[in-house]
Amino acid sequence: MVVPLNTWVLISSFKLAYNLLRRPDGTFNRHLAEFLDRKVPANLNPVDGVFSFDVLIDRATGLLCRIYRPATAEEPAPNIVELEKPVVGDVVPVIIFFHGGSFAHSSANSAIYDTLCRRLVGICKAVVVSVNYRRAPENRYPCAYDDGWTAFKWVNSRSWLQSRKDSKVHIYLAGDSSGGNIAHHVAARAVESGIDVLGNILLNPMFGGQERTESEKRLDGKYFVTLRDRDWYWRAFLPEGENRDHRACNPFGPNGRSLEGIKFPKSLVVVAGLDLIQDWQLAYVEGLRKAGKEVKLLYMEQATIGFYLLPNNNHFHTVMDEISEFVSSDC
Amino acid sequence: MVLYDSATLGGSCSGSSSSSSSSKPPPLQQRQQTQQDIDGLLAGAGYRVRSSELRKVAQRLERLETAMVNSPADLSQLASDTIHYNPSDLASWVDSLLSEFIQPPTCPSEFIMDPETNQTVVSDAWTTAEPHMPQVHQNISYEQQSLNNQLTVDNQLTVVTAMEEDSGIRLVHMLMTCAECVQRGDFSLATSCLEDMQGLLTRVNTVCGIGKVAGHFIDALSRRIFQGIGGGSINGGSAYENEILYHHFYEACPYLKFAHFTANQAILEAFDGHDCVHVVDFNLMHGLQWPALIQALALRPGGPPLLRLTGIGPPSPDGRDSLREIGLRLAELARSVNVRFAFRGVAASRLEDVKPWMLQVNPKESVAVNSIMQLHRLLGSDLNRNSPIETVLSWIRSLNPKIMTVVEQEANHNQPGFLDRFTEALHYYSTMFDSLEACTVQPNKALAEIYIQREIANVVSCEGSARVERHEPLCKWRTRLSGAGFRPLHLGSNAYKQASMLLTLFSAEGYSVEENDGCLTLGWHSRPLIAASAWQAVSDGTVDFPA
Repeated sequence: MVVPLNTWVLISSFKLAYNLLRRPDGTFNRHLAEFLDRKVPANLNPVDGVFSFDVLIDRATGLLCRIYRPATAEEPAPNIVELEKPVVGDVVPVIIFFHGGSFAHSSANSAIYDTLCRRLVGICKAVVVSVNYRRAPENRYPCAYDDGWTAFKWVNSRSWLQSRKDSKVHIYLAGDSSGGNIAHHVAARAVESGIDVLGNILLNPMFGGQERTESEKRLDGKYFVTLRDRDWYWRAFLPEGENRDHRACNPFGPNGRSLEGIKFPKSLVVVAGLDLIQDWQLAYVEGLRKAGKEVKLLYMEQATIGFYLLPNNNHFHTVMDEISEFVSSDC
Repeated sequence: MVLYDSATLGGSCSGSSSSSSSSKPPPLQQRQQTQQDIDGLLAGAGYRVRSSELRKVAQRLERLETAMVNSPADLSQLASDTIHYNPSDLASWVDSLLSEFIQPPTCPSEFIMDPETNQTVVSDAWTTAEPHMPQVHQNISYEQQSLNNQLTVDNQLTVVTAMEEDSGIRLVHMLMTCAECVQRGDFSLATSCLEDMQGLLTRVNTVCGIGKVAGHFIDALSRRIFQGIGGGSINGGSAYENEILYHHFYEACPYLKFAHFTANQAILEAFDGHDCVHVVDFNLMHGLQWPALIQALALRPGGPPLLRLTGIGPPSPDGRDSLREIGLRLAELARSVNVRFAFRGVAASRLEDVKPWMLQVNPKESVAVNSIMQLHRLLGSDLNRNSPIETVLSWIRSLNPKIMTVVEQEANHNQPGFLDRFTEALHYYSTMFDSLEACTVQPNKALAEIYIQREIANVVSCEGSARVERHEPLCKWRTRLSGAGFRPLHLGSNAYKQASMLLTLFSAEGYSVEENDGCLTLGWHSRPLIAASAWQAVSDGTVDFPA
């Protein structure tokens, strides 16, 4: 299996750092985590056609979002009053993005996710809202989902994000790893509340279950990720005493809720062939299909976790094209 | 709900020069190492690694993995006790971790280079004692990446506006218009703007949020337009008044506390093993920083050193020797904890009036120079002579200090263009005021606001030598200090942790400490407002002492 050297170095460094942060007793070295995480500030100066700014959307929980907008050509950096200038277009997709990190790591202002969100703006001609949700183990289920829901309602109620065609906000939910899991749950809550979600984009979404699947056994420890660390993150996120068949972890498992009859959005699910939890991701796709929901599976056979972080491989470009197509097909 | 946008000024990783907010970002500025070789994609992820070193770093990571797998006890020690520095320099970070491990017996073939295909094959020649530990089967393809991501961090803007209040937004809009008029020299239009704004102010909540900070900026603009740029009575506050306001600013929010304890931690570490130490404080004020250091020195293993403190401050107008009074109080404290202590006050109205001989540094002493928000005051340049900053940095260097601790506002308030400066200040102080909302204690809060207000007034309504609040961001200080012959001493994860923990004790939620290339910043949410760094003179083999 071939991985570009810089990708290998990047993911291995994360793996190394993460090993230092997870304590056997279930606690997390948050100070060291924040110290080691490479963050970037928001930037009102457009770079490659995208500018960003941070918004505090819930003072009580300190919930921050970073908003990425396409810059109008030839215009200088937006003025203070122009940050929330209405979006221009009959149909403007708004992607609410949930970063990964297995519910414990990373932030909206982590460099790797800032880069990814900027790219999404470009390829989807969208506004991207990256949610800085509360993380485990300090904040267990359902905090991340609640924050996702808060962000969703905020986005949905911004008049400046409405598309001209129908004066509604055209919302897509996206996320990688734990972010993908959050996207699913927020979508479910949204449609239950009667608000439309136009599509879900799940990159290597984090799902699991009590059972040990074949892929987990086969790939344990082979490509940066071990079953042990997966277990640790679920124990850190799920309510104490709950196992991995909890609804949050295993939405189509024994404690899952059926999606039949509810207007769940179409989904684009990307699965890396070298990801040990792929059997759970494939089961998720199967679950959507069985419930009659539209889902497109992109199975990238040779891809490892994190392949979408650096634009140096074919999987990356394939997936970006698919995402672009997925969003633009509604415009 | 308050709409709060935050961004940070200046470069974090790029070192790019801060340009005006309305121009295109400048190209990536060269750093001291060979810039061309840096892997562009990893740079975008926040890591600086030379492409030529990637393979070596990969090998070290593999070795580290092996070592960690073989001795989990060491892993937990590594996780808890090790101090980490400057994570952006990935190669150094990995090396430092590797050096924490006792070298394991070398595995026969960790890496086999296939000379023909230039690919590396990781062998699974080693097995571990723990049967369930997986083996690694990974091939690494050596591909040179030539993509060059441009780093983005240039001038960025901070905004606080009240979402529901259109008046608030209009107010900000008008402030910008007024500032633009001032820049163009159209004072009649500026004046009518002012009048409109005064009117709008009555309809906006001035107790908090945008209304409050707008009020201060309107005042500052007003001064500039009507009183001219000589400063008028802004800096006319007496030294005594300034000290009071400073003290309340110290109490109301954590910026100064952060500055003090971060600097103290670094000084303490620098003084380790030294028995005669001398701290030079560029702005003594009430000496609030020093009790903690004195106590920490008292408790250090091996006993305290002889501590000399030289405090610089403005002369007292009324015959009091306020410097000496502070010195006496500190001496009393030192005596109570058995630290041999000597104090000396140096009265000077301006830092550039201080000559090194006044500090009476003894060649045998280890010196720490401590500058909390003082260096920026030296940036006003009189082109006819040596710039004060160069002069001062030069004599600091001649003292060969063990450490120089520098804390500065993380802001770009020294741009030549008025409008740019105004805009940046509006953002910066909006954020700062927003953070002050978290403080409820009076009169600390009210007086702290006046303290900040004076800074605003200086930035906005003064020019030339009257404008002393010439804040520059960390990336500019890095360039300046490196150019003046200093090298950074990195603040590590222990300092970071201490700062974070103390913040949770002292302050409201919302303040955040961040690591930035070996320096620490404290900010409100994701906007850094104050930056702390430590420096040492680059040795050139000679030791100069002032005559």
